[in-house]
Amino acid sequence: MKNGLIYLLLGFALVCSSACVEEQDFDQLEDLQVTPTIEASILYIESPESVINLATGISFYANTFNFDAFNETFFADKVLDGVVIYEVENTTSKELDITVEFLDEAGNALDIEQFSVNPAPTALLRTEIAYGPGGRSLDIIRNTSAIRVSATNLGDNTSVSNLPDPKIILRSSGRFRIELVQ
Amino acid sequence: MRKRIFFIMAMLLWYGIVYTQNKQILYDFREIPQALLINPGMETPYAWYGGIPALSGISLQTGTNGITVHDIFADDGVDINLKVRERAVFGLGFRDELSGTFQLDILNGGFRDRNRPENFYSFGIYLEGDAIGYWPQDLAILGYEGNADALGRRFNLSHLKTKGELVNVFHFGLNKKLNRNLTVGARGKVYSSIFNFSSTRNKGYFVTNEGQNNLLSNTLVADMELRTSGLDEIDDILDDDSIDSGPALASLFRRRALLGGNLGLGVDVGFSYKLNRQTVVTGSLLDVGFIYHTKDVRRIRLQGEATVEGVEVILPDALLDPSADFWQDLVDEVEALVPFEDNVSKNYISFRPIKLNGSIRYDFEEPKTPRGEDCKCDYRVSGNRESPIDYLNSVGGHLYVIQRPRGPQAALTAFYQRRFGRALSLKATYTADKFTLTNVGLGMNLQAGPINFYFMADNLLGYRNLADSHYASFQLGLNIISWGSK
Repeated sequence: MKNGLIYLLLGFALVCSSACVEEQDFDQLEDLQVTPTIEASILYIESPESVINLATGISFYANTFNFDAFNETFFADKVLDGVVIYEVENTTSKELDITVEFLDEAGNALDIEQFSVNPAPTALLRTEIAYGPGGRSLDIIRNTSAIRVSATNLGDNTSVSNLPDPKIILRSSGRFRIELVQ
Repeated sequence: MRKRIFFIMAMLLWYGIVYTQNKQILYDFREIPQALLINPGMETPYAWYGGIPALSGISLQTGTNGITVHDIFADDGVDINLKVRERAVFGLGFRDELSGTFQLDILNGGFRDRNRPENFYSFGIYLEGDAIGYWPQDLAILGYEGNADALGRRFNLSHLKTKGELVNVFHFGLNKKLNRNLTVGARGKVYSSIFNFSSTRNKGYFVTNEGQNNLLSNTLVADMELRTSGLDEIDDILDDDSIDSGPALASLFRRRALLGGNLGLGVDVGFSYKLNRQTVVTGSLLDVGFIYHTKDVRRIRLQGEATVEGVEVILPDALLDPSADFWQDLVDEVEALVPFEDNVSKNYISFRPIKLNGSIRYDFEEPKTPRGEDCKCDYRVSGNRESPIDYLNSVGGHLYVIQRPRGPQAALTAFYQRRFGRALSLKATYTADKFTLTNVGLGMNLQAGPINFYFMADNLLGYRNLADSHYASFQLGLNIISWGSK
């Protein structure tokens, strides 16, 4: 009995005293990167052909929009690269020019994108502009606080497309990789 | 801000390392007075006992049912990004958790009624922390991968589920032997909450789809709430650079611990019943109680539904107001549809995590005299009382269940206890639960005259590499026990 007791105690002591921790490398945390890619729509503009026909000059629409999504500190400090996608759909009878400008706070144009679209029937015009390494400067995105859009009618002011509900539509979205942890 | 982050991280780490799901070794270990705290109806052999203040009951345990420290930080040459991606972000499910409770005995004592020796009273104060955080699976994936290339995928907001508290407990219990077979007990408790947080009823989702007008639509449907008490004042101290936050926090915690916090009431009940002379069933229900939070209370809520397709300009309507700020209008619209409320005055009630214990025990082999004759020679009796510990061996099973936000969690234990003379008792356990199926524990109780010392270690197989263990723990304590005169 005494021997059994001694063995039990020794076993218990051995287990407890032999507890060990294999060496861990916590410096690996410095290599950890968390870089999610987020995407969302940016701007949608739609104008029926009747509005284009009402305009007296060739420019039927021009406006500057406040747009603070890009220069929010959280986004501007962490964005790594990204793509802005434009899609233009023209079902009017007119040839149109659309210009999209990214402006800084002082109203200076940082980036300009121009789309020339033929009268209907025309294919959907889709353009992807890359920012960051291999593309345009990321500073354009970081410093954009407004977007100016202007549209020019290169056709007449009377014709109407045979297609139902003729319109010019500009769609756009952004897809950006941000660095949450490094 | 850095101090606040440090405090929150320290709290998370504390709950991460101080992790007690179950005290299966201590349960029904009748030689140890602290076992009364987990079954007030335990058979009590003592005349009186007094715990050494702050040393009578200390338990520390570590655990996780998902990944271990070793899984991520092992020096194995594998890129940590790969390990985090495969083992954490995409390796864990929303039912995986980091949870636990801990108790630290500050004061613990008990005595037998001289006039009614069937009554044994116990009292004390202990500090208890309880917290649970489930792995927010969808939110982790959203944060790690983003919403790109996830058209139509609903990121479930209900995966965010957490609650926790730090509370000081004042208790007084009565243990009564009703007859030779049945012992019952009850313990009343007053809770003095130091802080509490709860976010367990979240619902909703975030999804990205093809837009109706624009290229994409982002939809948020949210019904989320976080309730806290006691955290704002802590936050203020940590933010105040003009004071030394350490002593200020200690003073605040002390005041709240001594009935200056949000108060509550609770009760424990338990019993031991002898089916026959050698077979005993026991059970206990702990922490049936609540805390009413009226001080330093905050309620944060996000509730509503919104779909966004970017800034939308539709002519000719947009021409009516040339000075319109479409961006700000969009922001205002979303804030109106999904309002973020931060209410500092809403009182609330929190319920303690109820724990259930049940066991069956079979005792065998009576102590012998040196000449090998049966004897009633256990010294742990007082007066004419019979000793409830009159066999050398016990074997049995134990069931533990705790109420958690995603439903009850159970653990099943088989145990064997062996007593060696009057001084030593050993108990070995095997436990299966959601955290590990290889949990072997060992407990030792030493009685040297009136000095009682116990030490217990859990999941001993995990001690080969603690960093790779899902569960490791130890408990120890020091008491003075009087068994009364024979």
